[in-house]
Amino acid sequence: MSGPGSGGAYSFSLTTFSPSGKLVQIEHALAAVSGGTTSLGIKATNGIVLATEKKSPSLLIDPSALEKVAPICPNIGFVYSGMGPDFRILVAKARKIAQAYWKVYGEYPPTKVLVQEVAGVMQKATQSGGVRPYGISLLIAGWDSHRNQSLWQIDPSGSYWAWKASAIGKNMVNAKTFLEKRYNDELSLEDAIHTALLTLKEGFEGQMTEQTIEIGVITVPTPEQMEEKSGERLPPTFRKLSENEVRDYLSL
Amino acid sequence: MENNGGSVVAMIGKDCVAIASDLRLGNQAVGIASNFDKVFPVNDKLYYGLPGLATDVYTLKEHLRFRVNMYRMKEEREITPKTFTHLVSSTLYEKRFGPFFIEPVVAGLPTPTELDPHPKPFISTMDTIGCVTTPKDFAVAGTAADKLYGVAEGLWEPDLEPEDLFETVSQTLLNAVDRDALSGWGAVVHIITHDKVITRTLRARMD
Amino acid sequence: MECAFGITGKDYVLLCSDMAAGRSIIRMKSDENKIKALGPHLAMAYGGEPGDTNNFAEYVERNMRLYHIRNHYPLLPASASAWIRRTLAESIRSRNPYAVNLLLAGYDTTTSKPHLYWIDYLGTKAVVPYAAHGMGVYVSLSTMDKWWFNDMNKREGVEVLKKCIDEVQKRITVHFNFNCILIDKDGIHNINIDSQDPLAELESESKAASGDIVVDAPNSPLDVGVTA
Repeated sequence: MSGPGSGGAYSFSLTTFSPSGKLVQIEHALAAVSGGTTSLGIKATNGIVLATEKKSPSLLIDPSALEKVAPICPNIGFVYSGMGPDFRILVAKARKIAQAYWKVYGEYPPTKVLVQEVAGVMQKATQSGGVRPYGISLLIAGWDSHRNQSLWQIDPSGSYWAWKASAIGKNMVNAKTFLEKRYNDELSLEDAIHTALLTLKEGFEGQMTEQTIEIGVITVPTPEQMEEKSGERLPPTFRKLSENEVRDYLSL
Repeated sequence: MENNGGSVVAMIGKDCVAIASDLRLGNQAVGIASNFDKVFPVNDKLYYGLPGLATDVYTLKEHLRFRVNMYRMKEEREITPKTFTHLVSSTLYEKRFGPFFIEPVVAGLPTPTELDPHPKPFISTMDTIGCVTTPKDFAVAGTAADKLYGVAEGLWEPDLEPEDLFETVSQTLLNAVDRDALSGWGAVVHIITHDKVITRTLRARMD
Repeated sequence: MECAFGITGKDYVLLCSDMAAGRSIIRMKSDENKIKALGPHLAMAYGGEPGDTNNFAEYVERNMRLYHIRNHYPLLPASASAWIRRTLAESIRSRNPYAVNLLLAGYDTTTSKPHLYWIDYLGTKAVVPYAAHGMGVYVSLSTMDKWWFNDMNKREGVEVLKKCIDEVQKRITVHFNFNCILIDKDGIHNINIDSQDPLAELESESKAASGDIVVDAPNSPLDVGVTA
């Protein structure tokens, strides 16, 4: 009965225009994003890096159970700034979308197609009855044979666009200025990972460790890697770095 | 299958593929039309044939055109033979317990990409509920499938050039449908190469 | 127990159907019109399960009329055939399908070409120069194979039709009366196929007032809505 568009108790949309033409609910959602921890993404010549700061509210929390960078399908990964619970809902929906696509076409969706679908889900929350917009912005990194590696952002309004490098969350303005200075079109993935860590360091509260940093990378595959062998799956192009790998990058 | 009759054959050549069908539409043993195409283009590198129940030929063709057009707009690219095969397969399986009476044959040339600069010519077939087979030589379907198997097995050889492939596929089809009462009444052959598609209507026995 | 033919010519199409109505071996009626006008240049001859036939024919007729009212022009034969085919194809996989076979004949006023479609209850559609449904199939198709040729004039077409009817009456034990129409650029015309010269009436008519439609569209087009 309840749920978007089902005509339950609140069949009207909570997101309505103000007399000046603004959707205040969406602006509030963006405020929630700006309050969230910083996340960033950088596109390199041979891959993409997604990085985020992971803050535990208490020393007693087990940080290994917190996940802010999420694989969606073998070629696509998400990171977010904003409200954690909303992120997990969208990750679940995105994974389902990717598997539904696989069931029809026998391959995982190209990045842009998944981005459009997820943006559609987020847009729906701004027009449906009885629901509020999602309180997160997403950075989406993916690789596909059609468009190669690409980095996207989706906002609570459902608008989406592609970046060479960008940041979302608390320090996004400073981080973006920093990235603008550091970015160039010849960046390798290794350089990009270091730039990502340097950017996060600006305005980082506390110690940067493998427990407080999360990194996901897209690596562009070689033709040999994409060769199909019977009985074998293609290697994933998106993966999360292990704590050990993160520690190594931090120590450099 | 035996209601309207009709057969399709596809073959792999050297950097080319062929797909051909007869043109008969019957009502049981009575011939109704000799212009009933069963092979349709997706784009200039990809064709498919739908032998089987004629009402489903139309319905499935229209449905696939819809799905491919939506794919083209959403993905801003042409569908590959392999992906198209999956699309046809899942479309058929959607009707698992009330199937389309069609055994599709797909034939196409994948476009070269950075990762795969020399893709192999591609053919595939399915049963009525979408179970896929991807042969390395030839694929047959329809009321003359058993005869087509025999003739194709005898005539096909690897790495045929477009004109030789045309001859092989034409002879295979014509000789097989001559032994089938429900297929024949003309035939059409498409040879897909990287720079063009050659489509020829064959003179066949009209009895 | 029914029999219908269609023949295309250079700039016209003939449609002919028997007029018998009954059950199993009993004939209850021998003047039943089983050809329906669907528009100014479109008609169909239909047969199949009694009850389904009239219901389906009226359903098609009203939808063709609705299209005409909404768009101020009639659905062309090719599009009409696609609509009818789809309706039958959806029906065959429904809980209570229509059992109706039909021949759809029309004249495309935009290209000045005659059209004939063989459609069965499954939603099978064939685009054909000549066709038959029902019992007549077995004797008339071979007659048409022998006598039909490209771009026949009206007299030649009527001759072929007469040969078919003669063949049916000679070879089939059931006796049929036939009802026949001709569609050309001027619309749908009734033809008395039993008369000595079936076209005489039509020709004198067109001389008297060319462009007069003998069999009108189901209802003459209303002016509804805004005209461009």
